[in-house]
Amino acid sequence: MRDATLTLSGARRGPRATTNLGMVALRQAWLLAVNDLRQEARDLELVLTASFFTLVVLIMLGMSFSALGVSAQPLAVPGMLWLSVAFVGALTLSRIFNREREFDTLRAMLVAPVERVSIYLAKAFVTLVILLGCCCITVPGLALLFPAAQPFAERPLETVALVVMGCTAYAGVGTLFAAGLASSSGKNVLLSVILYPLTMPSLLFALVATRSLLEGHASFTTYLGQLTATNVLAFVVGAWLFEPVLVGVPQQRSARRASRRRR
Amino acid sequence: MNKILPFAFLGAAGMIFPYSVQLIFLQTPIEQQMGTVQKIFYFHVPLAWIMMLLAVVCGVAAGIQLRRDSKRAEAISIAAAELVLVTGLGVLITGPIWGHATWGKPWTWDARQVSTGLLWLVFAAYVLVRHYGAAGSERLAAGLAIFGAIDVPVIYYAVKIWKTTHPSTDVAGSLPSSMWAALWPALIALLLTSLALLMIRVRQEMTDVALDEAWIGLEHDAASPNLAAATGDA
Repeated sequence: MRDATLTLSGARRGPRATTNLGMVALRQAWLLAVNDLRQEARDLELVLTASFFTLVVLIMLGMSFSALGVSAQPLAVPGMLWLSVAFVGALTLSRIFNREREFDTLRAMLVAPVERVSIYLAKAFVTLVILLGCCCITVPGLALLFPAAQPFAERPLETVALVVMGCTAYAGVGTLFAAGLASSSGKNVLLSVILYPLTMPSLLFALVATRSLLEGHASFTTYLGQLTATNVLAFVVGAWLFEPVLVGVPQQRSARRASRRRR
Repeated sequence: MNKILPFAFLGAAGMIFPYSVQLIFLQTPIEQQMGTVQKIFYFHVPLAWIMMLLAVVCGVAAGIQLRRDSKRAEAISIAAAELVLVTGLGVLITGPIWGHATWGKPWTWDARQVSTGLLWLVFAAYVLVRHYGAAGSERLAAGLAIFGAIDVPVIYYAVKIWKTTHPSTDVAGSLPSSMWAALWPALIALLLTSLALLMIRVRQEMTDVALDEAWIGLEHDAASPNLAAATGDA
């Protein structure tokens, strides 16, 4: 971590950093994400709770819909997949800033010489990794439980692309508002209130794309393209709004002015 | 002037609205295919336009609030969001009534219906966050409003991008002049009512902010002599 801090500080001060701000932000995001993942690997709290929750949801879906006819399954399986992602995502996002909230380190992170967008990208990446880990349980589970979900196993590349794209938009929008709630000492119940209406468009695109994948329609790539466009929009708006939502722009401007005066 | 204007708008709307109803039900010809139920178009379409306009106003005001920490922009954002809920409810009630008569089903899950429903949900979430959120959640709500405003072009272009049961956006241009003649007064009456309510609600919010500031100032003044006495004693 010491190395990482030194690198981050150096990147901010060096002359190259100003010319290549995008790469610096990405590098900072990568270092922060690796740090978060390393801490997660020590106690596995989030990974284990999210995986267990996914398993429980899968068992409940299996029990509820085991009698479903094969013709109805292609309509039901996409809903099962993306509802479980929505539930697990809400659980993950309510915990993703928990460490910062418990030890009050979000403020420390915000005053560190790191681009704020890097914090956003790092947290979104960690959320994405955990969601994808949970999908590694849900997708094979659904393929085992429901014959209509066999295309998941038959077309693995398309399935991976679909799952990655679907989870990315969810992580992009969710991280912004999870951060906002963590910084405002807000109630976590509001996260679900905000999260579901906002992530519904991307989940709907993912749902329609999954249905076309299961039914073998050629429109799958079109829906995947629309889902990708939603992802880009979610990340651009999320990255743009992260700093104003988290700290407020006037505060940030006055902090910059104060820092210039000190110099 | 600012105090009188909303009531002037309400008065004007109160005069135009009965004329509009008279035009819609007594002077505009009955549509051949849909029959009398088509009359709901004169309320559904203006409400939908006003809802989208208010959502954009709310999103822009929220952006200004985030950028400049403007209390007025925040008040406009709150007022517009609440009116999006009201007009959105109107759209979501009149739409299915019309749909039931035209398509045989009140809700067909088409892209425009879903995106309108989502817009309403986003602004319902905005109002919930504003009411129940802790300190600092006003920035969170502003972010939500910006995402809500992004949904407006999606609603508009939904009929062009996806296959929907809704009529396309070109239909408005092909309406006969008798229908336009009935649509304009309804639109103006509803728009004036919405503007009046927006202005009244903005004033309420600004008064609320002024009261809060006065209360804080009063508490600060009350605490200052005690503090001075305490430091003096020390």
